Amino acid sequence: MKKILIVDDEQDIVESLKFMLEASDYSCYCAYNGEDGLKMAKEILPDLMILDVMMPKINGYKISRLLKYDNKYKDIPILMITARSQEEDKKIGEETGADEYITKPFDLDDVVKTVDKYLKK
Amino acid sequence: MEKILLISDRDEVAKKFGDIFSKNIHDFFVLTDELMITDSVSVYPPDIIILDVDSNEIDFKTIVKRVKSIDENIILIIYSDNEFDDIFLTSYSNAFITSTMSDKMIYSTVNMNLKTKNSLEKLFNTNKDLESSLYRLNALYDTSSKFAGTLDKKELLKYMIEGMDRTLSFSLTCLLSFADKDNPELILNSLYELSDELIAAIKLRTILNYKSLGEIPYDLNEKDIKVIKHIKYPASRFTFSLFQYDNMFAPISLGDEFFGCVEIFKDSTFTPDDATCFQTIVQQVALPIKGADLYQELINTNKELEKLERLKSDFISIVSHELRTPLTSIKNSMDILSSGKCCEITPTAEKFISMAQRNIKSLSRIINDLLDLSKIEAGKMEFNFKECNIQSVIDYVKSSLSEVAKSKNINLFAEVNDLPEIKADSQRLEQVLTNLVSNAIKFTPENKNIFIRSKLMNSKAIPKNPIFEDELNKLEGDYIVVTVEDEGIGIAESNLRKAFDKFAQIENSLSRKVGGTGLGLPIAKQLLEAHKGTIWCDSTLDKGSKFYFALPVTKVAQLSR
Repeated sequence: MKKILIVDDEQDIVESLKFMLEASDYSCYCAYNGEDGLKMAKEILPDLMILDVMMPKINGYKISRLLKYDNKYKDIPILMITARSQEEDKKIGEETGADEYITKPFDLDDVVKTVDKYLKK
Repeated sequence: MEKILLISDRDEVAKKFGDIFSKNIHDFFVLTDELMITDSVSVYPPDIIILDVDSNEIDFKTIVKRVKSIDENIILIIYSDNEFDDIFLTSYSNAFITSTMSDKMIYSTVNMNLKTKNSLEKLFNTNKDLESSLYRLNALYDTSSKFAGTLDKKELLKYMIEGMDRTLSFSLTCLLSFADKDNPELILNSLYELSDELIAAIKLRTILNYKSLGEIPYDLNEKDIKVIKHIKYPASRFTFSLFQYDNMFAPISLGDEFFGCVEIFKDSTFTPDDATCFQTIVQQVALPIKGADLYQELINTNKELEKLERLKSDFISIVSHELRTPLTSIKNSMDILSSGKCCEITPTAEKFISMAQRNIKSLSRIINDLLDLSKIEAGKMEFNFKECNIQSVIDYVKSSLSEVAKSKNINLFAEVNDLPEIKADSQRLEQVLTNLVSNAIKFTPENKNIFIRSKLMNSKAIPKNPIFEDELNKLEGDYIVVTVEDEGIGIAESNLRKAFDKFAQIENSLSRKVGGTGLGLPIAKQLLEAHKGTIWCDSTLDKGSKFYFALPVTKVAQLSR
């Protein structure tokens, strides 16, 4: 089973993502802040990560940058969740190397489809 | 009494003239010695000098040179027994008399020259007065033009003192300035250095002067006054005798407004003209200071307004972001429920879930509109200008809204045209057109039609609508004009313009019923303006509306910012 790490300080959002992804046969790991997220990413080496941008201390951009510049983790696809509009985030995203952007409020089916795109080739 | 000097060493000539000029009317005297003559001319200048050129031992050339060098306007009359032809002396003389002339004749010649001299002198003095008045007037004019050139209060007061310096040449000015109301300053412009004791005395005197004004606008404490001194010649010092100098004092005020007061000292007497000049300058500076005050107020208000505007934008943006997160959770929960993956859904439950989902969608649209608007207003909206085809925009909007139209039995027609590509942000154009078409669907009854058309037009060929005259007149060159025509309820003429105003919902009840923030059209307008295009509308009540928007074809280069 493919492993997905969800990092978001909004527990409700983590919960619903986890439910839908597990319904699509993915095994989900959850972290509720940036520090834990980064630690877990290195421990479990997920097949894909879903990252929230706005988190206290270590935000999504930072985590993404740290992972994407590390050869060991740079191939993990990263889906970034943002409350801002895409065009604003794309600029910063280009530097941080996230693979996809999902704007809040997002469609759970779309997220699952995007995950499928990366993991069910 | 007119002074007449005879230079002669001949006794008979001296006697002759002594008889001619009566002792009562004229002060007549005779000199022969060169030194005595020059002394007399410089200390006790005669009005007329008569030169007896036939004197025995007098060197007239030297004397004339000396005398003229002391007073070049002095009148010289040559007296001779014969015809006289010395060119040098004649060239300096004003008249010529001979011994053959009668006494009366001599007397009248001298008298005439005296009168001429007096008139000339008067003229000269008048001229001098005029010159000094003109200088003062010029200085006053300069000062007032300087007043007009600045809105800085301290600068204005500086110019006031400079103006006084030029017109009144003072020894000291003491300016108590409330240019900054909380920090009064005593500005001393002095010719000579002022000792600390003297400054303390001046300070006390100024406070007394200020308090003598009667109703004083600000409390004044000696300790609060900051002293600034400008000394012209620091090597010399003023003493306390300064207070015996002539002085003038005036408050600088306009109506109820009080800006300070000024006292001026001079070691000679001030004339009434000086007083007028002083008052004029002080009065002249009050108005621009008031102007500067108002200007500062305006700047502050403006800053405050800008801050508020920014706060409002920030507020909308923050609130919208904050709203998105809980909205996402609600939406996700509803989506999970409706997916049927966690439990069986009864038809009634499904009805309520879809009600919630519909409202979530509408709420999220409102938040997006608010965000868009706050971004546009803050100038933070970013555009992705690329070559794009308007037909693909129309196709996209038509296909995405055809379901909604079909549910209301509305026919949605779109003309297919081959139009040139334009440089535009296609996503934003889709947003504009989606808004226009979904509005049309909302306001059109069942079984009616909606037409989307596009056309290449020159600005001159675009039909004019007087309500949108300003916008339409700005168009110049070739445009792609897209129209969305419906057979809906229409908009009253008086409401057409309002339709593009923020938060101005026409016929509130209806808008409520069909939903929406009323922000769609204002946003569309701003998005099109960013494309150097515009939007307008024709409408007839109960017949339908026709919305147009125009996008420039030729101004491509200007779009890339």
